[in-house]
Amino acid sequence: MEFDKKSLLKLGKLARISISDDKLNNLSTDLNSILEFVDQLKDIKTDQVDPTSNSLNQKLEVRDDKVDTKNSAEDILENAPEKEMDFFVVPKVIE
Amino acid sequence: MKDSYTLKSLAVLLENNKISSKEVTSEYLKNIKNGKELNCYNTISQEKALIDAEKSDERRKSQNLRSKYDGIPIGIKDLFCTKGVTTTASSKILSNFIPNYESTVTQNCDDAGLISLGKLNCDEFAMGSTNKTSFFGSVKNPWKSVNSDNELVPGGSSGGSAAAVSSDLCVASLGTDTGGSIRQPASFTGTVGLKPSYGRVSRWGIVAFASSLDQAGPITKTVEDAAILLDIISGHDEKDSTSSVNPKENYYENLNSDIKGMKIGIPKEFRSDKLPVSTQNSWDECANLLKNNGAEIVDISLPHTMSALPAYYIIAPAEASSNLARYDGVRYGLRVKGNDLIDMYEKTRSEGFGDEVKRRILIGTYVLSSGYYDAYYIKAQKIRSLIKSDYVEAFKKVDAILTPSTPSTAFEIANEPSDPVQNYLNDIFTVPVNLAGLPGISIPFANDENNLPIGLQLITNSFEEQKLLNVARNIEETINYSETPEKWWLK
Repeated sequence: MEFDKKSLLKLGKLARISISDDKLNNLSTDLNSILEFVDQLKDIKTDQVDPTSNSLNQKLEVRDDKVDTKNSAEDILENAPEKEMDFFVVPKVIE
Repeated sequence: MKDSYTLKSLAVLLENNKISSKEVTSEYLKNIKNGKELNCYNTISQEKALIDAEKSDERRKSQNLRSKYDGIPIGIKDLFCTKGVTTTASSKILSNFIPNYESTVTQNCDDAGLISLGKLNCDEFAMGSTNKTSFFGSVKNPWKSVNSDNELVPGGSSGGSAAAVSSDLCVASLGTDTGGSIRQPASFTGTVGLKPSYGRVSRWGIVAFASSLDQAGPITKTVEDAAILLDIISGHDEKDSTSSVNPKENYYENLNSDIKGMKIGIPKEFRSDKLPVSTQNSWDECANLLKNNGAEIVDISLPHTMSALPAYYIIAPAEASSNLARYDGVRYGLRVKGNDLIDMYEKTRSEGFGDEVKRRILIGTYVLSSGYYDAYYIKAQKIRSLIKSDYVEAFKKVDAILTPSTPSTAFEIANEPSDPVQNYLNDIFTVPVNLAGLPGISIPFANDENNLPIGLQLITNSFEEQKLLNVARNIEETINYSETPEKWWLK
């Protein structure tokens, strides 16, 4: 049993998702079920195996260092929930 | 509509001036309106589609066509960013998002003159196998069991894309596939769904779920149409650093259904007592058919098959938790007011994401967190290497692998299991293909005793889409599957 109330709330903090009390029980059942499912991998020997992060065997290409005019401040801010001049506005961070 | 159009058949009708783009686009917009109950579309681009269709007709008159397929209307999964058209990923958190840029794939479609009818419903952030996780509600499968009037899931996550093709709400559609999201719904709806090799199609401008697994691909009525649409959307894109520099082929032009001398592998690990008899029979019949058509059937082993799904449910949530960190209420999407910055983040994400997305973010955060990273994330990546090497070995012996696409045919919306792990099992046959980065296609083979489509999956080695399509075409040509759902929503 990995996910109890305390560890779930901590996980929620890490993931920046608030979890209400009425959701805790179901969530704990679901996540424990998923964890139990993936835990079956523990029985497989992998000491001599290298990890694969990406299936494509290709060197990352370097693009030409060209100037273009896409992504203007105006474009980037277009969907901002709150903006002022050329800035995103967020709740006050420093007192 | 008298006949079901395909990309191929419409191209001929348009060329011979038997129909105009505006006429055919209007016809499909009418179908969409009449098929509203199916809930396939999140956004219908009525006005834009008609304007674009008129422009296409003008191009045809002035012999200035963008491609042979100029003027054909398609549907686009609501995961592709489309300039000026709402792109939601079927999530509340993006429900007001209007991109000011166009994904490479949809740009390629526009460059070929295809008309977008609108954005197709899907599971939220493409996480799901039933389309039930969509903020905009379930899509209904156009198919119904002969024994019941109950509504069935279309599969997912590209449920809207598959259901819309099956019910003639578009000629063809674009989907994405991270663990089976094109092939599984194609299987549930009697359509053809192709997941290309990782890197074959640009991911630029597609809402990211699990970046090392995501691939866009076509859902169509025929294998020929899949080849046509793959020709249009694939190729190198400098905006996606994981897009392959391998030159693409002319898949449609080079389509060749001769499979004489080919070796087709049947993996023993995919056999199961739990497989419905009708699916097992279809699988056997298809192997026989390929044998009769000149191929050699070879028993093979993919020993780590059963480890693919648990590995996937570590890797995909891990990547999702990173990718979805961007939804914080600052730059775009939903913002819920909070007492301070952290409170704003937490409330925004709590209200903006649905339950399945939250589960995956939390699991992903867990497997990446200090103390668990090696035991889960690195472990899963090592398993991924084992799965990949299974296929490397297999493709030394065979040209293609034949399996069922799904462990069942479409099931009732009301019968979706409440345990998430039970739902994950829907993708048991499709997930290994994503982990290994291979191309896979689901084609309809027959209908089961309830008159529901059974899909079979073909898999080839990386970047062997041509071979994949050739074998699929061979099967299609031989069986000539032509079942269509009864259009109950018109009554």
